[in-house]
Amino acid sequence: MAMYVVGDLYSRHSAYLELELIVGSEWLWRAVAAPEAQRPGVSLSGYLKNFEVRRLLIFGQREVAYLSDLTSRTRKKRLQEIINTKTPAVFLANCDVLKEVHEVCREKEIPLFKSRFTANTLLSKMSYLLAEDFSPTLSCHGTLVEAFGVGVLIQGDSAVGKSEAALGLIERGHRLVADDIVQIRVREGSYLEGTGPELTRHLMEIRGIGIINVAHLYGAVCVRDEKRLDLVVKLEEWNDRHFYDRVGLERKECDLLGVKLPFHILPVKPGRDVVLLLETIVLNHRLREMGYNSAKEFNTKLHETISRKQVEASREKEKISGQTAMQG
Amino acid sequence: MLGLHARPATVIAKLLQQSKSQVMFSYKKETVNARSIMSILMLAVKKNSQITISVEGEDAEETMERLMEAFENQFGEAAG
Repeated sequence: MAMYVVGDLYSRHSAYLELELIVGSEWLWRAVAAPEAQRPGVSLSGYLKNFEVRRLLIFGQREVAYLSDLTSRTRKKRLQEIINTKTPAVFLANCDVLKEVHEVCREKEIPLFKSRFTANTLLSKMSYLLAEDFSPTLSCHGTLVEAFGVGVLIQGDSAVGKSEAALGLIERGHRLVADDIVQIRVREGSYLEGTGPELTRHLMEIRGIGIINVAHLYGAVCVRDEKRLDLVVKLEEWNDRHFYDRVGLERKECDLLGVKLPFHILPVKPGRDVVLLLETIVLNHRLREMGYNSAKEFNTKLHETISRKQVEASREKEKISGQTAMQG
Repeated sequence: MLGLHARPATVIAKLLQQSKSQVMFSYKKETVNARSIMSILMLAVKKNSQITISVEGEDAEETMERLMEAFENQFGEAAG
């Protein structure tokens, strides 16, 4: 992943965190090594054991109150101990700007920000944003569409017909998110979100036609900038030797960036309406998510029918053997 | 000569159609499937920049040779 600097945090989140830069516009190049922010805690008293200098530092009213009780010299000394050249940035959360803090930041060339949020609020908001910005990403070859509200990643070898299938879905009213390259990232540590690179947004490359812009052809309602991934479907050339899922009782899964998603292999062959089959996979997925598993229901009913037939058959046998006993 | 724009990308894709190998281009931390024209274009490779090509498969050597030839010939564009 490209290096994450204080400038990135500022440009992306200054509005949400209500950050105001007090000093240091020339020092925004400082790298943020880890997605961690902290309040100084006991280190303000001079206890520096286990203090991690590389984290973003947040001061709140409590810290300012404690520092104000110290002499100016001690204050400066303590600040110089915890605001190190490795500290990426310092934040003053809803508190006064102590002149010693200002001085130390200027000396060590560390950006100093102010926010109207309280220290704990700022800490929690910042931690969440940092975790999202640092979450793993992956660029994968495939097409991401949204059909019936479900995000489907269509994968497969080149020329198997991913883009054509996506075009078919768009024509039926579904949405394109990205064609050919999908940039996937983990959100909230639990689900995947995909998007397309800005340069090729809304563009599709179709053999025999060329590069088309589907937003221009079909309208803004047929495109979407990002979508959560719910399903992965792999289009494959029909292979007689491969055993394809005939019943659908087992759920196949694939793993992307540590998140498991339902996975289907869809065999492609002339005469098979791939677009209709993709729609069907999506509708079946929706049904399953709602709690109805058609294949399982059928299987249960089948079991019941079989056991009922067995009971009837054994009753018949008893009746017959009973009759023969009476006759014999 | 702008770099890897639409025409060179088409030449590469056409060349790779005959190949049975998996080919990836890497530029500035992005790695893409070279068989996809859009993927190559997405990289927006400038003239005289460095990219990494990786070829894996049964005809890897032959494919790599043909790719090198195409790059060296500047994809048949006028010298410049």
